[in-house]
Amino acid sequence: MKSALKWDILAKCSTTKARAAVLTLPHGPVNAPVFMPVGTQGTLKGITPDQIEGLGCQIMLNNTYHLGLRPGQELLDACGGAHTFQGWNRNLLTDSGGFQMVSLLKLAEITEQGVQFESPHDGSLMLLTPEHSMSLQNSIGADIMMQLDDVVSSLTTGPRVEEAMWRSIRWLDRCIKAHKKPETQNLFAIIQGGLDPVLRKKCIEEMVKRDTPGYAIGGLSGGEEKDKFWRVVSQCTDLMPREKPIYCMGVGYAEDLVVCVALGVDMFDCVFPTRTARFGNALTSTGTLSLRQAKFKDDFRPIEEGCDCIACKSYTRAYLYTIVTKETVGCHLISIHNTAYQLRLMRQIRESIIEDRFPQYIHKFFKDLFVEKSAYPEWVVNALKSVNVDLIEGDKQQA
Amino acid sequence: MSSFSFKLQDNSAAKSHLHARTGTLAIASAHQEKRQIDTPGCFMYSIKGSVPHLTPDNLRQQTFGGVNVAMEQILQTDQPQSFSKWTNPFAPESQKLMSVADYLHLQDLILLCDFHDSAPLEPFSKRASNTDYHVVLSTPKGIRQLTLEDYLKIVRHYRPDIVAALTDSILETTQTAGNPTPHKKVPSQKRVRKSVDRSLKWLDQVLEERQGRDGMAEDRKKEQEKRTKREKKQKARDAKNAVDGDTEMTPAANEDQEEGNAFVSQPWTDITVFAHVQGAHMKEERIRSAQETARRDQVQGFIIDTNDLWATLSKEHEKRSGEILAHVQTSLTHLPSEKPKMVYGVRTPEDVLKAVAMGVDLFDTSYPYQLTEDGKASLYEYGVEAAAAAPSIPTTNKSVVTNRWINLWDEEHADQFKPIMEGCECYACKGNRHTRAYINHLLKTHEMLATVLLMGHNMHQYSLFFSKVRESIQDGTFEAKATLFSEVFGIEPESTGEKHEAQIAVEAALQKRNQRLETAEEGVVEAIGGAVPAGQPVSKMEDAEQQASKKKRPSQEVEEGVDIAAKEKALKK
Ligand SMILES: [Zn+2]
Ligand SMILES: [Zn+2]
Repeated sequence: MKSALKWDILAKCSTTKARAAVLTLPHGPVNAPVFMPVGTQGTLKGITPDQIEGLGCQIMLNNTYHLGLRPGQELLDACGGAHTFQGWNRNLLTDSGGFQMVSLLKLAEITEQGVQFESPHDGSLMLLTPEHSMSLQNSIGADIMMQLDDVVSSLTTGPRVEEAMWRSIRWLDRCIKAHKKPETQNLFAIIQGGLDPVLRKKCIEEMVKRDTPGYAIGGLSGGEEKDKFWRVVSQCTDLMPREKPIYCMGVGYAEDLVVCVALGVDMFDCVFPTRTARFGNALTSTGTLSLRQAKFKDDFRPIEEGCDCIACKSYTRAYLYTIVTKETVGCHLISIHNTAYQLRLMRQIRESIIEDRFPQYIHKFFKDLFVEKSAYPEWVVNALKSVNVDLIEGDKQQA
Repeated sequence: MSSFSFKLQDNSAAKSHLHARTGTLAIASAHQEKRQIDTPGCFMYSIKGSVPHLTPDNLRQQTFGGVNVAMEQILQTDQPQSFSKWTNPFAPESQKLMSVADYLHLQDLILLCDFHDSAPLEPFSKRASNTDYHVVLSTPKGIRQLTLEDYLKIVRHYRPDIVAALTDSILETTQTAGNPTPHKKVPSQKRVRKSVDRSLKWLDQVLEERQGRDGMAEDRKKEQEKRTKREKKQKARDAKNAVDGDTEMTPAANEDQEEGNAFVSQPWTDITVFAHVQGAHMKEERIRSAQETARRDQVQGFIIDTNDLWATLSKEHEKRSGEILAHVQTSLTHLPSEKPKMVYGVRTPEDVLKAVAMGVDLFDTSYPYQLTEDGKASLYEYGVEAAAAAPSIPTTNKSVVTNRWINLWDEEHADQFKPIMEGCECYACKGNRHTRAYINHLLKTHEMLATVLLMGHNMHQYSLFFSKVRESIQDGTFEAKATLFSEVFGIEPESTGEKHEAQIAVEAALQKRNQRLETAEEGVVEAIGGAVPAGQPVSKMEDAEQQASKKKRPSQEVEEGVDIAAKEKALKK
């Protein structure tokens, strides 16, 4: 199908499956691997678009379900889409809205036609079809839009998983057909198939035939064992076309990002960094600081030494302790820091790939975070071993 | 070494019979560029040392030159009262001690440090009584008593540009049988007199100390006498009861005193002192306080806090501002004209104009803050013939829309893809970046960017208002324009304390969600235990996250949707 993006791979890691690339979208270039902050309602937790840009963010997420409710399709059409609506001139990605329907609304039921749910407005039965999702996402005008998929929890087993996989393929066809602006908006397919390698393989084969501009690995991060999670991710990146961007949905904890990049993933999103900021939790390379705790009351260091965000440049932990979760400014500052942290992490990863020292970066990253090798999670060790990085012995070999 | 100056401009050519004047309040110091506030102007209103909603970068887009920091909001009961042992990590020389401006990252503004919130929204908060030896501060973590000795330590450690001398503000509340909520109390004449006396006594002591002389000798002597008496009694009691001899004096008291003594020789004359004038609702006491305070040459400026008048004002909204201003006038008449005067509790544009006409120089920015909290965006303009906005229209909401502001909670703005104010240079309005429709959306979805944008706009317009007022004083049009302003914009409608119905619905839904979220996040915090002990950081945290939100893809804000559903239902009703 038509594509409105360019995907230029700049460098490939000589050890792992990681790659550094530039993804050129209608609203400018995106350096990959990339973390995309989530601005659910068309805004990122009190941070102004100028501040987000200032952090070096090139692409942000919006949620279709929420924008569909408010401001609604009519107003989005009237003002010319979500970019204009929120004053954001860089790229946007929207989900399909399906996941939210299923998880938010108790009475959601999935039929071949679409997701049936009870309207939060008046309780009447409504239907989100692939066509309706495309129409909404066309109105939003996101640079990347996601197909409506049949979402099942990653903990589900049995025939339902296969049914969902096949239905997602059929819905992809309907999405492609209903997509009105393939010249300016990129439709990504979502690979389903649960934790079953056979189903994942089949799904990839079918979806690759549709030749969408990019692919997402869906149906993960739902509480499945980490050891199963990474194996699915790795299997998918092996089977997916290497000349297209690969997006792993809902992944955003720092160590997951490092591992998944090594496994060949290019794009990530997660609401965690900004959501946790609201509760005064600040992310650092040595772990999370819960700034609500009284032990910070006379800690006169910045959140993270060397961070150039406005919170770290201006305030001490002691002062932040007095305002987090109390004043909106406290919340904005931690949100800004956490977003800066995520984006910096991705920048460092990318630079290390370009300079072909990503394995060394991985060693340092885990040492900073866990200090003791005995504390390294087993799944991380296994996952990285599969791409030739031996966390336990490897740093000695390199030294 | 920094120096304070206040220079009035000669506007005699403007030939006004009013007392309105323009000037410049400035702090010059060797290691920093000169900082100044053009008057009439403002010290920005802050909460816990931050201007509400504005991160430092957004704050720097505002042009106010000063900020007012309330000691009671940053002096928490669980934090040490000084920064003495804290060095400033941001300072070039690693040994530089941290000042309050460093701590709050307000170094480029003139920092005025006072005790109480200059615009308390809730006058009924728990207030105990001041005594001869301490004032009562209402900190975020509870009541804290501040003695003069504490105060002096704080001034020496905080090193603000300007500090308000310790004063006895009457902000007491009373509780009557059958009415569990404390209510405002009309102070007795005796109490008012005492407040004036105490404030003068404390002022003298503060000024002595400022010169490096011991202003505390008398107090210490009395304190020592009391202590000796106490000890004697205690000893007698102990002997009588023949308890196990555990009668050691707490060493803390002695240490405190030593520390206090150590400072006696250090003057702090580079810190400017402003003094509160008291007198509450009693004319003769206001005059006495003003005259006596004015006599102290070291005092460089005066603060007239009208918040203590609450209990004595009329019930009728229209009368109140006149009554407040009459009290302000009483104090002003007896204060030296060459020094700056600041007023608390006079904040609406029309009241500011009246106070400026009397010769008041300084205000705070609690007005734009309060508009912002209500979801209002200001539209008033000084010097225009007609209001830019539509005249008062009754809307779906009970509140009447006046031409001085719009309430962006009103549904009529949902499809208004235009700026709050054409031609406004604030971040939201400039280039029509953030429209009324967008802000309406942000309010309804309870997104914090709403107040960020509104605060930016409201503060910008307030500052513009002041700069136009200054211009008009200089070019002789102040009188005419002030009259014009009241013709076009009338007076601020009484805030009924009733929130917009949409706001009520959204906040109720939000509260529910926050409780849920809080519980989920509590698990995270517990699991990670703050600064993560090396070894088990994020992996543990993630378990907690996932347990708390089974089946959830973390990328999606599941709670938000439920929230919307609840809001929608509430709105439909
Ligand atoms: Zn930072
Ligand atoms: Zn504006």
